[in-house]
Amino acid sequence: MHAFDYAAASTVRGALDLAGPGSAFLAGGTTLVDLMKLDVLTPDRVIDVNALPLKGIRLHDGALRIGALERMSDVAAHPVVRSVHPVISKALLLSASGQVRNMASIGGNLMQRTRCDYFRDVTSACNKRRPGSGCPALTGVNRNHAVLGTSDSCVATHASDVAVAFVALDAQVVLRSKDGDRVAPLEEFYRLPGSTPDRENVLGPGELIAEVVVPVLPWARHSTYLKIRDRQSYEFALTSVAAAVDVKRGVVQDVRLAAGGVAAKPWRLRAVEEALKGGVAIERTFAEAAESAVDGARPLAHNAFKTALLKRTIVRALLDAAGAR
Amino acid sequence: MTLTPAELTSAVSGGIGTSPQRPDGNLKVRGEFAYASDLWHEDMIWGATLRSPHPYARITSVDITEALKVPGVYAVLTADDVPGRNLYGLEHKDQPVLAVDVVRYQGEPIALVGADHPETALRAMKKIVVTYEVLEPVVDMETAVDDTPLHPGGNLVRHVPIRRGSQDVTAEVVVTGRYEVGMQDQAFLGPESGLAVPASDGSVDLYIATQWLHVDRDQIAAALGLPQEQVRLTLSGVGGAFGGREDLSMQVHACLLALHTGKPVKMVYNREESFYGHVHRHPAVLYYEHGADHTGKLVYVRTRMYLDGGAYASSTPAVVANAATLGVGPYEVDNVTVDAYGVYTNNPPCGAMRGFGAVQAGFAYESQMDKLAEALGMSPVDVRVRNAMTEGSVMPTGQVVDSAAPVAQLLKLVQDKPLPAGTSSDIRELPGGVSNTTHGEGVVRRVGYAVGIKNICFSEGYDDYSTARVRVSMVNGSLSAAVHTAACEVGQGLVTIMQQIVRTELGIERVTVLPMDTTIGNGGSTSASRQTYVTGGAVKAACALVRDKLAGRTDIGDEVIDETTEWRHRATEAIDPVTGQGNAHVQYGFAAHRAVVDVDVDLGLVRVVALDCAQDVGKALNPQAVVGQIQGGSAQGLGLAVMEEIQTSGGKVRNPSFTDYLIPTVLDMPPMSIDVLELADPHAPYGIRGVGEPPTISSTPAIVAAIRAATGLALTRVPVRPEHLTGT
Ligand SMILES: Cc1cc2nc3c(=O)[nH]c(=O)nc-3n(C[C@H](O)[C@H](O)[C@H](O)COP(=O)(O)OP(=O)(O)OC[C@H]3O[C@@H](n4cnc5c(N)ncnc54)[C@H](O)[C@@H]3O)c2cc1C
Ligand code: SF4
Repeated sequence: MHAFDYAAASTVRGALDLAGPGSAFLAGGTTLVDLMKLDVLTPDRVIDVNALPLKGIRLHDGALRIGALERMSDVAAHPVVRSVHPVISKALLLSASGQVRNMASIGGNLMQRTRCDYFRDVTSACNKRRPGSGCPALTGVNRNHAVLGTSDSCVATHASDVAVAFVALDAQVVLRSKDGDRVAPLEEFYRLPGSTPDRENVLGPGELIAEVVVPVLPWARHSTYLKIRDRQSYEFALTSVAAAVDVKRGVVQDVRLAAGGVAAKPWRLRAVEEALKGGVAIERTFAEAAESAVDGARPLAHNAFKTALLKRTIVRALLDAAGAR
Repeated sequence: MTLTPAELTSAVSGGIGTSPQRPDGNLKVRGEFAYASDLWHEDMIWGATLRSPHPYARITSVDITEALKVPGVYAVLTADDVPGRNLYGLEHKDQPVLAVDVVRYQGEPIALVGADHPETALRAMKKIVVTYEVLEPVVDMETAVDDTPLHPGGNLVRHVPIRRGSQDVTAEVVVTGRYEVGMQDQAFLGPESGLAVPASDGSVDLYIATQWLHVDRDQIAAALGLPQEQVRLTLSGVGGAFGGREDLSMQVHACLLALHTGKPVKMVYNREESFYGHVHRHPAVLYYEHGADHTGKLVYVRTRMYLDGGAYASSTPAVVANAATLGVGPYEVDNVTVDAYGVYTNNPPCGAMRGFGAVQAGFAYESQMDKLAEALGMSPVDVRVRNAMTEGSVMPTGQVVDSAAPVAQLLKLVQDKPLPAGTSSDIRELPGGVSNTTHGEGVVRRVGYAVGIKNICFSEGYDDYSTARVRVSMVNGSLSAAVHTAACEVGQGLVTIMQQIVRTELGIERVTVLPMDTTIGNGGSTSASRQTYVTGGAVKAACALVRDKLAGRTDIGDEVIDETTEWRHRATEAIDPVTGQGNAHVQYGFAAHRAVVDVDVDLGLVRVVALDCAQDVGKALNPQAVVGQIQGGSAQGLGLAVMEEIQTSGGKVRNPSFTDYLIPTVLDMPPMSIDVLELADPHAPYGIRGVGEPPTISSTPAIVAAIRAATGLALTRVPVRPEHLTGT
């Protein structure tokens, strides 16, 4: 681990004042400290933000508002979250382990880094960690990597589960800096890798995620999260799907879908949503609509299975959310 | 009057055949057990190891100047500082304590730092400048022998041929296959750790988590250039082993630093370093051809197998011999051709792991038996029973199996067990479990069977023995016994077993087990399922000597009866280097599994619903420990079947963490129904048969057989992953 200064802030203003180039905010530390031990992240200053008042889970103005420092466990267990947007709770409960969820914050979760092994191995090249050094995953071990939204510079997935649920629900993030607050749709908060995979989001230096705002979608009471993984718990997704469907008289009125484990960022499946609207809520409709999920997919040597698996995951998620099984 | 043990047993509780509570159980569950990583000395410093990032490279220079300048650093050592022999190894002395000129695997140790704090040591380590000329690694086990030689003698560690009966006989039904087994890790939870304490006379004490104190000591002493009595080892709390602690890791390193600095030195690997710090299970490629007549009787088995030993030999010779001699499985076959090759590559070194050699062969020959059953239109159990070996059968080595071999009985026991109820509506019991992937859609349930054979104890003429000392004296008015051995308790329950044996043999209830160390003679390795057999035998023999002196007395006043003895099992012999013939093994152990598996054939997810086992253990000295071993071994086999693999690319490990190297959790493991047979082996103490390894062998092929039945896929490689099942 590189040497660093540690400072704990008690106010947002104080935290923003301490922040600068080379600083990092410390929430639960489950990503930050892990990557510092590996020398992947080498901040000069670590600013502990755990005492900041970025907390609270409430319904306000037609939206569910979740403070960035709320712990994954607390959000998952919150009765309002569970009743209004169960998909959020489900996605969280299928993330990591109980111990990690007790420590990890929602803001930190959205900021977690990819699990690409080359990114974690400082003896290896990696465009995301060392821009311009190359991407060994393109030709190396890439079973867990992305098939959508990738570039020739980087094929890593964004590994967050709850971000997939948030993106499906059109969530926004409130970003706070010395210049004040700004609001960004979470889907646009994340950047595609393009030729600059080191720039993963639009957060400015020293800017904080303050809150996640999820517009209430009344019919999203019937929403679900499905996760395909190599063991039953405590493992990242090979594919995952967040789904909410509004079915009336057997016909899909509206639908929200997003996928994880397959893309460079939490992946909204708009084409599939469009194909579903007005369709009869049966398996065949779901399967036909799911075809467009992988348009433009760029499978690699070891992860081509993800395209078919994603389509099947979508079908299962829709069956579940539509109550058709 | 001398009493027989049987007459004494009734007097005390906690003797053999009962399941007294083990002393470490509650402590471990509560997190209070002192492991080697908890060792502490007020005056100690910390050691760290600089390792090669390259699987194969020439070292052109090592510059430690800047590292030595870091405040708090006591020493920076390289190969030049190894005073004795800079080569060690269990069977071949081919592995440097610290690399000289060349590194042959990723993670090979090059230099050591001793410093006042672990972080200081790590920072100093980063200041060591090593320049490398990176070389093209040898990574393919099938072509390694003809590739760049990595050691002076070339890349063949050992070839074991077996020729029995006709080599060109033909058969009515022939099935062939190529099988692959991925590299499994022991995945013990307690990483490598130890504390070396130097003495003023130039000798050293090492407190260490290991599997074999004396062989560690001998190798350490040779590397340090010290006489053996100047290196004293004491076993520390071991957090699992499974073969991964048979080779040295930080033992010599910590002692070197301690002797060099005059300070106690602690070394603890972190999880990633642990993946580089111990050997793994050999990955293997196995080619098989089985010929049978139309009744299903095997006419011949021919196989060629490759086992990847990685950069250093470790126990590759024994692994290859096991794979070869057990290569047809627990079946009678008159005509056998085996060629098993253990090779050097630049992959991670591989060595002992539970079921070594027998696991790899077991997956292949059991897959072949299923293929044969299919070709013959027979049931998998029938084809196995048709060929099942029995007592008196002849092994491919010519060795006669001279105690119980209830192969058919074990298969029938698991076959006759009631099947679990139909597919559950509780998602936790379905493929994907809590991941909410199915409520039954796409789920197909099928059953698979397998049976396996494992040699128990050390083989091929190795003069194996254990030493035990039993001391009896009066404590608070009643007889009390103390047992001392150098046999390592690694979590398998040896401490309890020794107490049980003493209670039964001497009728003394209060039995203390003294710390395991090198002040007593060799206890042999805690491996090959041998400790209860060999050290148990030694304790029993020492008790017999004590019992004679005790002569039935219950009060011996101030007298102390103190007996030490060595105990050997019957001798084995080397196998012929051309024909593979010879009485190579001491004893054989057998287990059979029936796996019931639900497969979500659309999503490629597997849920093992039941994994029932029958095993002959000769005599269950501690029935609860026996069941624990069978459950643990079966779980490790489940891991190999569906998830566990160290993935390498160009010789580099790609998943050195427990987040990326997956082991089954309690959610992946079904409850087991277990039948334990007790068919005494007249050659063994109490008739016991080693327990730890056999269940690891048959659980993997049984699970894969069930997945094959559910999917119709060939599945010739383990672990089986979702993408192998989705047809995509
Ligand atoms: C073993 C393991 C398994 C895991 N499995 C999963 C899984 O299955 N699914 C899943 O979704 N995730 C998984 N994770 C990731 C885990 O969810 C994240 O590590 C966690 O959510 C990060 O939150 P934290 O509070 O600990 O963040 P920290 O580690 O404290 O911070 C992470 C990053 O975010 C920055 N940061 C933190 N808070 C803010 C803020 N408010 N504003 C701006 N920047 C901020 C930090 O500076 C840092 O760069 C796993 C992690 C581990 C260690
Ligand atoms: S996929 Fe991205 S993160 Fe992984 S090695 Fe390539 S550039 Fe780095």
